[in-house]
Amino acid sequence: MKVLVVEDNKELAGSIYDYLSTEHYICEIAHNVEDATEKLALFSYDCVVLDIMLPDGNGLDLLGYIRSEHMDSGVLIISAKDSLDDKIMGLEKGSDDYITKPFHLPELNARLRAIFRRKKMEGSNLIVINEISLNPDTLVATVEDTVLDITRKEFDLLMYFIINKNRVLSRQAIATHLWGDYTDNLSNFDFVYQHVKNLRKKISAVNGRDYIETVYGLGYKFNTAAQ
Amino acid sequence: MKLLNKIMFWFTGIVFLVTPISMFVSYNNIKAQIDKSHEQRMAYENSLIAKELLKGTSPDKLTNGHAVTIEKLAGSLPEKREVVTEQSSYIPALKRKECLLTVHSFYNINGQNYEISTSNYVTKSNQIFHGMMNAVIWKIILILLGVFIAARLLSQQIIAPFKKTLKAINHFNIKKKEKIKLPQTSIKEFKELNQFLEKMTERAVEDYASVKEFSENASHELQTPLAVMRTKLELLSNSNIDASQASLITDMHNAIEKLSRINRSLTILTKLDNKEFETTEVVKFDKVAAEVFDVYSDRANLKEICIETHIDKQINVKMHPALADMLLNNLVGNAIRHNVHGGTISADLTNKNFSIRNTGLPPEIPTEDLFKRFKKSNQCAESIGLGLAIVKQICEVSNFDLSYVYEDGWHHVKIDFNSN
Repeated sequence: MKVLVVEDNKELAGSIYDYLSTEHYICEIAHNVEDATEKLALFSYDCVVLDIMLPDGNGLDLLGYIRSEHMDSGVLIISAKDSLDDKIMGLEKGSDDYITKPFHLPELNARLRAIFRRKKMEGSNLIVINEISLNPDTLVATVEDTVLDITRKEFDLLMYFIINKNRVLSRQAIATHLWGDYTDNLSNFDFVYQHVKNLRKKISAVNGRDYIETVYGLGYKFNTAAQ
Repeated sequence: MKLLNKIMFWFTGIVFLVTPISMFVSYNNIKAQIDKSHEQRMAYENSLIAKELLKGTSPDKLTNGHAVTIEKLAGSLPEKREVVTEQSSYIPALKRKECLLTVHSFYNINGQNYEISTSNYVTKSNQIFHGMMNAVIWKIILILLGVFIAARLLSQQIIAPFKKTLKAINHFNIKKKEKIKLPQTSIKEFKELNQFLEKMTERAVEDYASVKEFSENASHELQTPLAVMRTKLELLSNSNIDASQASLITDMHNAIEKLSRINRSLTILTKLDNKEFETTEVVKFDKVAAEVFDVYSDRANLKEICIETHIDKQINVKMHPALADMLLNNLVGNAIRHNVHGGTISADLTNKNFSIRNTGLPPEIPTEDLFKRFKKSNQCAESIGLGLAIVKQICEVSNFDLSYVYEDGWHHVKIDFNSN
């Protein structure tokens, strides 16, 4: 999958590049509108990660350009402003999703994968890892053809783990993924802990392998190499 | 009362007060003047007769056909040589009283003392009065008519720029970044007023823009470095790290999370202070409330908190939709966080108010103080202490009344919509 990251902050662009590269994306970076326009004209991308505030213009204009040229790239907007106006304007202008700084890299990854899925770039909609398979359309999760009896939140959590498999996911990243804007004032770590605990219980109840590891109190990891 | 009506009211009052006085003065003057000229004329006639008498003309010949009497006086001449008498008498033919003015003059002619009296009917005072009354009524009617017409013209000519200024202020919107357009006027006071208003609104627009810019910059310029730190930590935590390094990373993650939340909350507070959220929309508050309770239901379940809600249908509240969401999020989030394991939350929504009660430990500081920024009961280290400040500010912006009491183990927050 080919992704163009348009972000003027070089360190942040570097972080995104590092993370996405190890997820086997083909990732390219543009630091301003001019670079981005040139790259978009020359190559085609499956998805564009677009910062709104750029040194030589507004990311929303670039979004307008992408849509007016009928490029079928998905667009994920990154903005520091979490003001409602920008959010609505971005979605109206044809962006596929919106994420606010400071975001978590696993979250960015999950959003990109969701855009790919919606655009059917990954063929089948099923997310499969070894014996576990998830259907995001029907919200059904199976372990070796046995349906898991899990809640919507637990399904989200499992999908987040699988998309970011073999990565350390901090508790903040998980909380933000599960509750989004509603995380601001809760002691979420207990809730994350309980959700993870319940999920592991339910998987082991159908004799599924326990892939989820605790990483030194920092967070969790879905380790596909687990025994 | 309209400015114009007020002016008219005063003007009419002055007319009614001044007219009788001026009428009294002119009545007296006119009467005195008429009497005086009559007297002078009759005195002159008397002197003419006296001259005739001196020539030796017989008194009978002189009095014949004239309203004159000539009488010989037996005694000496009185000290005053001229006496005026006035006498009212009823004239049956005219069926009214008439005033008879008589001038008595005393002369010594050829050694003989004479009293010569000339009399004449003069216009009586109440007749003058009647005449004047008529004129005065006309005068008042004309003046009032004049004032009324002048007032209409005034309002069109003079008050008009003032009215336009008022209209311009009413339609002035600080968010549109447009200069206020005020009408040209030749009146000094209005000119000063307009200049003052132009200056004030310009300042207000600048202040508003600079605060808005600050909050936007603060959010952008701070969130980007925070994003850099967070992503670098995430890359770092995927490298080979040991337990002590993981614990350092966790602490940093927590600090970044807190910093980001504080930054976001302060930005929201600044925006609320700057009145950047307009309360022009009607929000379906019952729907928002149901959504928010739904979002929090899984966390309430994990803490085994029982939520009882009584949400009336079709509750429409005038406020900014983003604020409705924020308000309920803060309140419901607080009710869960500050609750005890296995506690209860009970919420009521009617078209008058929203009230939420939750079990929990007693607050360590007075409940009013909890609305202040960064004030919090110490039991929850994770909170940043801005949630209730935001709640309070939202209520102020939306014109709601807010109260928070702690009673018998229950925290009770109530919001009155004031049927806004």
